[in-house]
Amino acid sequence: MTTPTLQLSESARAASASESRYRIDAPIRPARSARVVALDEKAAAVARRLAAHPWAHARFYTGDGDARLRELDGAAALLDEVLTGTDVVVVLATEDGGRAAAAAIGRICGRRGITTAGVVLGDGFEADDAVAALRPYARVLLLSADEADAFELLTALRV
Amino acid sequence: MLRKDINELLTRTGPGTPMGELFRQYWIPALLAEELPDNDCPPVRVKLLSERMVAFRDSEGRYGLVDEFCAHRGASLWFGRNEGSGLRCPYHGWKYDVTGQCIEVPSEADNSSFCQNVQLTSYPLVRIGDVLWTYMGDRATQPPLPEFEWVHVPPEQTYTSKRWQQCNWLQAFEGGIDSSHVTFLHSGGLKTDPLFRGAKGNEYNMKDTKPFFEVADSEGGLFVGARRNAEDGTYYWRITPYVMPAFTMVPPRGDHPVHGHFWVPIDDENCWTFSFDYHPVRPLTDTERQAMIDGHGVHSRNIPGTYRPMANMDNDYLIDREAQKRGETYSGVAGIAMQDASLQESMGPIVDRSKERLVPADSGIIKARQKLRKAAIALRDEGVTPPGVNPEHHKVRSAAVVLPQAESFLDSCRDAVKVTPGVPQASV
Ligand code: FES
Ligand SMILES: [Fe+2]
Repeated sequence: MTTPTLQLSESARAASASESRYRIDAPIRPARSARVVALDEKAAAVARRLAAHPWAHARFYTGDGDARLRELDGAAALLDEVLTGTDVVVVLATEDGGRAAAAAIGRICGRRGITTAGVVLGDGFEADDAVAALRPYARVLLLSADEADAFELLTALRV
Repeated sequence: MLRKDINELLTRTGPGTPMGELFRQYWIPALLAEELPDNDCPPVRVKLLSERMVAFRDSEGRYGLVDEFCAHRGASLWFGRNEGSGLRCPYHGWKYDVTGQCIEVPSEADNSSFCQNVQLTSYPLVRIGDVLWTYMGDRATQPPLPEFEWVHVPPEQTYTSKRWQQCNWLQAFEGGIDSSHVTFLHSGGLKTDPLFRGAKGNEYNMKDTKPFFEVADSEGGLFVGARRNAEDGTYYWRITPYVMPAFTMVPPRGDHPVHGHFWVPIDDENCWTFSFDYHPVRPLTDTERQAMIDGHGVHSRNIPGTYRPMANMDNDYLIDREAQKRGETYSGVAGIAMQDASLQESMGPIVDRSKERLVPADSGIIKARQKLRKAAIALRDEGVTPPGVNPEHHKVRSAAVVLPQAESFLDSCRDAVKVTPGVPQASV
């Protein structure tokens, strides 16, 4: 399987396990300050549970039917302000109730160069319209996702 | 990023590890049929999931995959004499059949029953298509044989190669789910590779370098849809199916044969990449087959007599900075397969995923890891059979289609991503 080589090439040496020890081990600063927006009641319950984990800068909101948002404690929040100073928005949806908010968030994010990810919880059949509203803007849509997928996505993004 | 303990869980596949047990639920490619071309041909060393074995084909054409080492004093049966319906250790002459059963111990009396109690660990080895498949799990839960379309079309419609990749299986496999690298790393190949070039879809690929992704569960794994702008009001969709644990297909291009991969751990720091091309409804042309043999498309040019690519880490992958400057290759490494392998191997034997900075476009990978982890834990804790074991789950296809913007790829492609014998792949 192997061919004898007298001398390791640079690539071979560099890819070895022993060389891995010399990788620079600088702490990684969380790069993103994310906004997580739950578009409907069931999604809001998920957002509340997610918010209970420690995150670097992530902030959580719920939509309330049209294009208005609320903090998890119920305080009203202006979409425009919520989307200031962020570069990634993760939208959670379980049904179509949040269609209008989805479209509004998508439009603003599209304009401002904010990456949008949509997580559609459950089998997704009830959220067809919300998905359609998000589709033009969401860089990624996780369909048929569950709560753990949302958690893994946020973890992977280091928010 | 991925937590260190989860990375450990997903990358270790030796006996007794959760991921190793997961792999042992499936039929997996063990070697190519061409490696055991004749009855009584030389045995072949095979290491899979950190277990060392030899494969051989006996005088009756039966295939066997047994412990590499003789039960007597541990000599390698790779030196065995394959003759008279069994493999005989050349040291003291103990002989085994394809099931690993010892059938002769010459030092014992002719009518001794001693050898009946000597049995090497063995696994079934079955030829389907050009691949010899094995199942390394509990016999009681052995599933029906695999039904992947690529190994079931007539022989003239299919071609399979394999190459040794010097890194953990997971980082190799993740390349198969990661559609967003194609526009960069493989951009040269879209224009020049005989097995890719000329398709209408390639233009969409090159024009829109910022695809949008949709990731959806399937019964056996995932569908990852990558969407790019096409003509007014339409999107160009490339749909990649993933069947657990390690099978992915590349979306087709024009009428070119369809390709894909099966990644199989050798040990925790090496894997086999099985690469295939097939056409669902027509024979491969001579030119196509020759291009595959020459290492174009997803295949590699291997060192003759081995499955090690000619361009490998010992020669810096024959990197050609001039070709890179001229725009022939994006990274300087030639060929799709080695472009992928060079970068995946450069990450080190097992990449430390706690150091990653993933972006939303990596969601396919995030979700695939999550599915693997869930399945490995459900199997370990509750004995749940994972997705992808049922052969019905194997009957998927990749697809490349242009759809009106309002349509969901899942709804519109329900038939396109299913295997329908006699019906060509959905492709642009
Ligand atoms: S750009 Fe993806 S690994 Fe460097
Ligand atoms: Fe690739």
